[in-house]
Amino acid sequence: MSLENLILLTGRTINQGVALEGGKTTKENVRAAGICAIDKDDFKKLDSIVGTPVKITTDFGEVVVYSTISEEGPHPGIIFIPMGPWANQLVNPDSQSCGTPTYKGMKAKLEIIQTGKVLDALELIKTLKEA
Amino acid sequence: MVEKKINTVYDVVCPFCGTLCDDLEVDVNIKENLVVEVRNACQIGTKKFFSSNPSPHRYEKPLIKDNGTFKEVSWDEAIDIAADILAKSKRPLLYGFASTECEAQSKGVELAETLGGILDNTASVCHGPTLLAEQDVGVPTSTLGEYKNRADLIIFWGSNPVHAHPRHLGRYSQFVRGYFRKDGRNDRFIIVVDPRNTHTAQIADLHIQVNPNEDYELMNGIRAMLRGVELDAKMISGIPIEKIKELIKILKECKYGVIFFGMGLTQSLAHHRNIDTAICLTRELNDYTKFLITPMRGHYNITGANTVFTWNTGYGYSIDFSRGYPRYNPGEFSSVDLLMRDEIDASLIVASDPASNFPAASVKNLFKHPLISVEPHHTPTSENADIILPAAFAGIECEGTAYRMDHVPIRLRKVKDAPGECLTDREILEKLILKVKEKLGE
Repeated sequence: MSLENLILLTGRTINQGVALEGGKTTKENVRAAGICAIDKDDFKKLDSIVGTPVKITTDFGEVVVYSTISEEGPHPGIIFIPMGPWANQLVNPDSQSCGTPTYKGMKAKLEIIQTGKVLDALELIKTLKEA
Repeated sequence: MVEKKINTVYDVVCPFCGTLCDDLEVDVNIKENLVVEVRNACQIGTKKFFSSNPSPHRYEKPLIKDNGTFKEVSWDEAIDIAADILAKSKRPLLYGFASTECEAQSKGVELAETLGGILDNTASVCHGPTLLAEQDVGVPTSTLGEYKNRADLIIFWGSNPVHAHPRHLGRYSQFVRGYFRKDGRNDRFIIVVDPRNTHTAQIADLHIQVNPNEDYELMNGIRAMLRGVELDAKMISGIPIEKIKELIKILKECKYGVIFFGMGLTQSLAHHRNIDTAICLTRELNDYTKFLITPMRGHYNITGANTVFTWNTGYGYSIDFSRGYPRYNPGEFSSVDLLMRDEIDASLIVASDPASNFPAASVKNLFKHPLISVEPHHTPTSENADIILPAAFAGIECEGTAYRMDHVPIRLRKVKDAPGECLTDREILEKLILKVKEKLGE
C-alpha cells in the first residue's frame, strides 16, 4: 500500500528533545525521531498496524521510518517526521540564498515496505560518510 | 556533626531553550559530583542536567581517530593536531556556538579571524531569515516580562511551544498571571496558526489551519483586508475569508497583542519574506492597538551568538574572514550553502551536531574533510569526527552569560564540576588560538 502527493513537515517534538539530550546514538532517539506521524484517516487507507516500517520518498532522498498515527491531527495529506537525521534525508537543501534550507513542505510519497530496517542515527549517518 | 552529602543550588538557569528559565533547583551529590535531582525544569531541561553525569555517552578525554577507531591522547597532542589541521586549511568552517556561553563565542570569533576562515552559528539553519528580515524592516519587540504582565492576545505562528519551549506558556505567555492579567489564562486569547492541529493549537482559543508553505499569502491577505481592501477570493491559503474577517476583528480589538513565530515561517518557502511580512503586519496593527513580535529562539544562547558575533564583526551569522576583514552574505557564506558547493576543506564544530541537523547532501561534503568536534557527549557528528575535544557543559559545569530570546542577558550558574579531563569551551578555544597563532608565526 502507498500514499502519494503528501506534504512532509518536520519539526521539534518533546520526545525528540528529551532523546537528543539523553543520547543521540541511543535506541530512544530512534523511537523519538525515526518515526512518521500520519493523519488518522490517511493511516486507515494503509491497512496496516502502527509501528510498521514505511519508506518515505521525496525529490531529495528516501528513508525508512516507523509509522505512527498523529496525535496532532487532523491534518489530511500531511505527514510529520521530527527533526533529526531521518527527516534530513528528505528535506530540500536549497536555501533560496538565505542560508536556511527548506525543511518544511516537501512533496512526499509513503509506501509500506515488507523488508527494510529502520537504521539508528549512527548507521544512517555512516551511509553519508561512505557515500 | 553530620557530613553534608547533598548540596542544593537554587535559581539555576536552564541551558536548553531560548526561554532560559531561571528558577531551577538542582541537587548535587557533592562526594560523587553527580546531579541527583532537578526541580522546576521541563522534561528536556531535566534530561540535560542528568546527561551531564558520567555515562557511556559522555566524553572525558581528548580522542583522535586512528585507523577508524578512537584513541585517547593528551590535551597537548590533541590541540597540536587540531591546530595543525586548522592552520594548514585554506577555507576552514567554524560552526555551532549556539549551545555555549558568550565568552566562548567571543573566542570563536577570534579564532575565525586568526584563521581567515568562515564563522557561522546555528541561526544559519533556524532563525537566520529572522535576522535578515529585521535588518530589512526593523522589529517592534519587547521583553517577555512585558508580555506576561500586559498581553491579552497571544499568537503562535508556525511555532509549537508545548514541544519546543515547554515552560514558555507557563512563565510568559499563556497560563501565567500578570500585573494587568490577574486571571492568567482566562485573561488571554490564544491563537495558533499552523498546518497541523498541534498540542499548542489544541489548548488555544482559535486555530487557523493554514496550508503548508502558504503563510506569506495569508499574512498579505490579512494586511490587505486590514487596509479595507475587498479581496476577490473565497479562501486564502485554505482559510475562508469569513474566518479571516473574524480574525482581523480579534486582532484590532485586543489591548496588547504579540506574535511569537517559529520555524514554521523561517524554514518554509519564502523564508525571510515571511518574517518581513509578519513584522510589517505587526507594525500596521499598531494603527489600531499595541502589537509586538518576538521570535521563538531554539538553542538557549543562539541570541547570544548573534549578539556576540555582531558586536565583534558587525554581522550576526554567515561571516567570511578570508580577505582579512569580515564580510557577510547568507546564501554564500552560510554553512549549508558552503557545504552544498563543497567549498570548505576543514571544519571545527563547537557545541553543535550538524550531521544530525543539516540536509543529507550537505553532510556528505562535511565528512569529506578533516572534522574537529568540541562536544560533551556522543553525537553523529562527533562519532564521525577526526578529533574530539571533550567539553564541559556551559551552564551546568561552568559559568558564563547567555541571552534569552528577548535579548535579556542572564548569568549561567555552575552546579558541579566537569568529569574527567573535560575543559570549558572557552579554555579549549583559547588553547587552539594560541597554538594556531604559533603555527602561523604570529
